[in-house]
Amino acid sequence: MFLLKISKIWQELTAFGRVGLVILLLLIFMAVAAPYITWQPHNISSGPSLKPPGGAHLLGTDELGVDLWSQICYGARVSLIVGLGTALLAGLGGAIVGTFAGYRGGWTERVLMRLIDIMIVMPDLPVMVILAAFFGSSLRNIIIVLALFSWSHPARIVRAQVLALKEQGYIKMARIYGGGDLYIIFKHLLPELIPILAVSMIRLAGMAIVTEAGLSFLGLGDPTSRSWGLIINHALNFSGIYFTPFWKWWLFYPWLFLTLLITALALLGRDLERIADPRVAKG
Amino acid sequence: MKNKGLRIAEYLVTLLVIVTMNFFLPRLMPGDPFLHLSGDAGQEIVTFTKEQQEYFAAYYGLDRPLPEQYFRYLTGLTRGDLGFSYYYKDDVAAIILRRLPWTLLMVTAATLLSLILGIVLGSYSAWRRESWQDKATYLFMIIFSEIPAFLLGIMFLTLFAAALGLFPLSGGMTHFAGYTGWEKVKDILHHAALPVITLSLARSGGIFLLVRNTLTTVLGKDYMLTARAKGLTKRRIRYRHAMKNALLPLVTRVALQLGGMVGGAVLVENVFAYPGLGRLMRDAVFVRDYPLLQGIFLVLAFGVLAANLLADLFYRTLDPRTREGELHGKQEPDNGEQEGSSHVLA
Repeated sequence: MFLLKISKIWQELTAFGRVGLVILLLLIFMAVAAPYITWQPHNISSGPSLKPPGGAHLLGTDELGVDLWSQICYGARVSLIVGLGTALLAGLGGAIVGTFAGYRGGWTERVLMRLIDIMIVMPDLPVMVILAAFFGSSLRNIIIVLALFSWSHPARIVRAQVLALKEQGYIKMARIYGGGDLYIIFKHLLPELIPILAVSMIRLAGMAIVTEAGLSFLGLGDPTSRSWGLIINHALNFSGIYFTPFWKWWLFYPWLFLTLLITALALLGRDLERIADPRVAKG
Repeated sequence: MKNKGLRIAEYLVTLLVIVTMNFFLPRLMPGDPFLHLSGDAGQEIVTFTKEQQEYFAAYYGLDRPLPEQYFRYLTGLTRGDLGFSYYYKDDVAAIILRRLPWTLLMVTAATLLSLILGIVLGSYSAWRRESWQDKATYLFMIIFSEIPAFLLGIMFLTLFAAALGLFPLSGGMTHFAGYTGWEKVKDILHHAALPVITLSLARSGGIFLLVRNTLTTVLGKDYMLTARAKGLTKRRIRYRHAMKNALLPLVTRVALQLGGMVGGAVLVENVFAYPGLGRLMRDAVFVRDYPLLQGIFLVLAFGVLAANLLADLFYRTLDPRTREGELHGKQEPDNGEQEGSSHVLA
C-alpha cells in the first residue's frame, strides 16, 4: 500500500522533481552512512594542511589538515537535523495554530491572524542574528529560533484548508450527528491536512537549512557542529583565499553540496506542491 | 477589507513588539552586566567594588524599576538615541548612518533591477506561453531563484572576480585612488555591480512568476476579448490593458519581499566584503558589540516595516477596487488567489 503510493507520486513528478528526489535521497544516505563511507576522521587533522583532492583525501584537506570529504559527510547530518527538526517543530506548531484559528473562528482567529501578519513582515534573518547572538548558537537554539520564526507559513495554509473543509457537507453532518471537536479534527480534518502540511514542511526544511547555513556563514553557527556553512565561513575567512588555489576544493565542495541540497529540496517541493494543491500549480 | 487606521495600528504593534524584544533581550541574558564589563580571557579580572557597582547601576539607570527603564528606552529611541558602541567608541546611530548609504544603494538598485528583470522576462514568457522560449526562461528563473543569494554570490565572486578578474574582489570603492567626479561614480558602480546582480537575480524569480501568472490570467479575461474585438493594436492591448492590471500586485509583492531582500543583502554584503550594514552586523557579532547589533537590527526592521506600510497604503490609492467597500463581493476571490500564489514562494 505504502509502496504503491510512493510509486504513484513518482509517476506524477516531473523530471525536475525526480532529479531533486534522487539527489535528496543520496544526500540523506551520505548523512546516515557517514561513518561507513569515510575513512578519515572528520574532526581531527589527518594529513598535511590544504592538500588538493586526490590520494588518501578524496576532496582534499582544510587549513588544519582535516579531511574535507569526511567533514562534508558529517556536515550533511547537521543540515538534515536542522531541516528536519525545524520542519517538524514549526509544521506541528503551525498546524495546531492554523487548525485552532480556522476551526474556532471569531476573535481567536482574528488575534491569531494578526499575529501571523506580524510574523510575516518581520525581517527574519536580522531577528535570528540577534537571537543567535544573545542566546548563543547551539544547534538546539538555532532549531528553536528557526521554528519560532517559520510557523506562520504552515499556519496560514492549514487555516485556509480548515476553513474550506468546515463548510463541506460531510463535516457538517458529522457535527450534527454529535461528533465532538476532537473527533472531527482527528478523524476528518487531519487526513485532509496531511498532504499540504507535508509539502509545506519540505519548504520549511529548505528554508531552515538555508538560514542555518547563512547564520554559520556569518559566524553564528554552532562552533561544535561543523556544518557546511561553517566550512564556507572558515574558507572565506582565510585571508586571500582567492589568490591561492585552495578555494578550488576548500570553498567549492561545501558550496556545491549545499547548493545541491537546497535546489533539490526546492525542486521537489515545487513539484509536490503542484500535486497536493492543483490550485497553485499555475506557476 | 480592513481600513487604513487598523492597518497602521497593526504596523505600530509590530514595531512595538520588535522594540520590546530589543529592550528585554539584554536583560534576559544570563549573567550580570558587571561580569561582562570585566576582562577578557587572559586578562586580570577586574572586580567591581560595591560603590562602583552602585555608581554604574545609577549611571545606566539599572537601579530604576523596569517600567521606568522601558519608558526611558522608548523616549531615547524617539530622539534617535540607539546607545553607545563599546567597540567603536562612538554613538551607534552615527556609525549606522555612515554605513547606511551603502546598504540603501544596494537594496534599491537590486529591487529596481529585479523588477525590470522580472517584468521583462515575465511578460516575454506570458506572451509566448507554452513555447520553448517560455519553458527555457521559466527553468532559468526557477533555478536561479531557488539558490540563496549568498551561495549565488560566492559563485559569481569566484567566477567573475577571482577567476576572470572582471570585477573587484571586495569592498565598496577603491581606497586611496583619489578618484573624483565621474571616475569615482564609475568605481563605485564597478564595485556594486556583482553584489547587486547577485541579489537581483536571486530575488527576481518571484516577480517573474507573479507577472507571468497574472498576465496569463488577465489575457483570458473578457475585457481582453472586447479590446481585441474593438480592433485595438496588439501593442495597445498588451501594454495599456494587460500590463496595467498585471503590475498592480507587484507593489505588494515587492514590499513583502523586502524582508527577504534585506536578509539577502546582509549575507551578500559579507560575501563581497561590501561596507554596508550587513558587514557591520557581522563585525558587531564578531566582537560581540551588542548595542551596535541591536541598533542595526532596529534600523533594518524599521526600514522593512515602513516600506511595507507605504506599499500597503499606496496600493489602496492605486487600485480603485480596494477603496472603501466598493464591489465588496468581487473582492474576496481575487484576494484569495493572490494569497495562494504568494505563499508558494514565501
